[in-house]
Amino acid sequence: MISCEEFLAEFGDYLENQVSPEVRQELELHVSQCRACHVLYDSSRKTVKLVTESSSFELPESVSEPIIDRVMARLRTGRS
Amino acid sequence: MSFLGEVRLEEEFGPFAAFQEALGFVPNLLYAQTLLPRVIEAQAKLESAVRSPGGAISRVHKERILLSIAADRHDTYCVALESKVLSLLGMSEGQIDDLLNDYHRADFPLADLALLQFCLKLSRYAPSMCSEDIEALRACGFEDELILEAVVVTALAVYRCTLSVGLGPEADFGPRKLASTRIAPPRDVALHIPSPGIHEAARNKGPYVPAPYLSSKTFGPFAIVQKSHGFIPNFFRAQTLRPDLLEAELEAVDRILLPEDVLTRVQKECILLAVSAANLNSYCVAMHCNLLRGLGMPSEEGDQIAVDHHGSNLSESDRALLDFAVKLGTRVSEFSREDVVKLQTLGFTEEQILECEVVTALNNFANTLQMGLGIEPDFEPPPDFENKVHLSGGAQPPIQAGGVVHLVDTLQDTEAGLVAQAQSGKLEAFEELARHHGQLIYRTLTAILGNPADAQDAMQDTLLSVFKHIDGFQGRSKFSTWLVSIARNTAFQRLRRGKHFESLDEAVCNEERDFRPRQVRAWQDNPEELYSKSEMRQLVERGILALPANYRVVVMLRDIQQLSTDEVARQLGLSVPAVKTRLLRGRLMLREWLSPHFMTSVKEIAQ
Repeated sequence: MISCEEFLAEFGDYLENQVSPEVRQELELHVSQCRACHVLYDSSRKTVKLVTESSSFELPESVSEPIIDRVMARLRTGRS
Repeated sequence: MSFLGEVRLEEEFGPFAAFQEALGFVPNLLYAQTLLPRVIEAQAKLESAVRSPGGAISRVHKERILLSIAADRHDTYCVALESKVLSLLGMSEGQIDDLLNDYHRADFPLADLALLQFCLKLSRYAPSMCSEDIEALRACGFEDELILEAVVVTALAVYRCTLSVGLGPEADFGPRKLASTRIAPPRDVALHIPSPGIHEAARNKGPYVPAPYLSSKTFGPFAIVQKSHGFIPNFFRAQTLRPDLLEAELEAVDRILLPEDVLTRVQKECILLAVSAANLNSYCVAMHCNLLRGLGMPSEEGDQIAVDHHGSNLSESDRALLDFAVKLGTRVSEFSREDVVKLQTLGFTEEQILECEVVTALNNFANTLQMGLGIEPDFEPPPDFENKVHLSGGAQPPIQAGGVVHLVDTLQDTEAGLVAQAQSGKLEAFEELARHHGQLIYRTLTAILGNPADAQDAMQDTLLSVFKHIDGFQGRSKFSTWLVSIARNTAFQRLRRGKHFESLDEAVCNEERDFRPRQVRAWQDNPEELYSKSEMRQLVERGILALPANYRVVVMLRDIQQLSTDEVARQLGLSVPAVKTRLLRGRLMLREWLSPHFMTSVKEIAQ
């Protein structure tokens, strides 16, 4: 079985689902055997999921519209 | 004498001794490279790895492949050389003649013919290789290792033939006659893709041979690649079935590409990019675009070289260098001593010309290998290059995806139309663009400024700046990429005015150190159920704002704005590996930060 260090070297691509079938097999085996890496993988995957589904930093229209209106007003007056 | 100068090297010069032992002589092709002994070492590494006994293909079979490809390319130098080698190995003159004139007539078993056919197709029409070609070999009983070897031998033949044309070495032995009735092989690979749709067929079917996992901890060469590239490209991972060949390749690559005593790294990467593009090799184009970005070249410049280097901002002499390399790499029949002289009159030294030729040969080696093994891409190639591949290949978009392709085109057309209108001063068009991309601009600003209130404040300045500079947008990158660069500039100006200035330079964040996770307690099963949607959002936002700026930007664009890693790299002018490193760091830090809110309680663990 691969070592934790080897697991961590592939970890970023594993999270991104960008490893070849052969590498995936090694990583899955490691995760099933090593508790620390299992926890790391599981919680990291959950982190990514929470972050991508959080709709963070959405600019509400109530904020963006006045900004765009102000910009357009300035451009129009600058024009005339 | 060959086209370039030669110097005397000691008899004991290792590579020469190796050739002496393997062949009984040192080919003139190697003497023609004595201005740069390290490139001879590179070729010697490749040759001895390919020749080493114990592989799946016997020595005679390998030499036959080398001879057939040389004959197919009408490379008289390599034909004479290989014929001699085969006759030294005991093949009769009659058999050699058969092989030279029509290998079908030669009295070979069917399986041998199938193997030759495969190698010739790969050498001629690399972009049209597909899984059916591999299946044909498997049907003859050939196994994965043999297929890999056949591809590497073919790649070596292409390497040698490229060099022999570029160097014009004197024949080692009397020339051999090639029958005049032979059908001239197509030389311009890029123009001879047999049938439409072939790209689609070839693209999604690799990799063709399995690649067992090799760790950079136990396989030394991978550790070196990891260090020099920041990651291990699929190009190398795909060849792990034969670590010996892989190791030789890596040593050759190091000797040719890493030193900067003759041509610079950037010049060499440009050669690799331009010739790969002419060979329609999307994999290598994407790879070298990325490496160039890592070397500090703006992404639009690399993209431009991939599409047409004449439109790039390279110096006139560097563009001539690329013309030279592309001609040598793809239009062999047009190449002559004149081309060498032309570079000399532009001020290039013989060493530089030699290195350019070797880099071109290495490129063709790599292009052949990638196509032969169907190696999957690490990165996306520039969009304009993909269009070029479609146009020159005459390939139609696949029928099922037709609707989607059309939709994307329309969207892009609409945006291009809006940009053109905005450039001609139409404010309504600008307003629509501003509304459409507001979210991206806001998130970029928030990520850099680290504060939503400041970002809202900076929105107005950014939009005004976009309008002011919109004439400068030339359509060489995506409009959104250009917008992000304006937003970044606006944000940096604000930061410089303020006192808290965090640099986002590549050098500042130390990517070497390993990140050690501290939180090792398991998380609960359904963390999303623990908080309300708005609580969760606040929690994530606080966590992201707590990240260092250079990780924050990457996490924001990748995980919040949900752009692809390639797109993030393009927008931030970073290499993909640099983005990947920062993304992972950022995610892991976020994990640490969020952990206390989602861990299983101590009580649960005790149960």
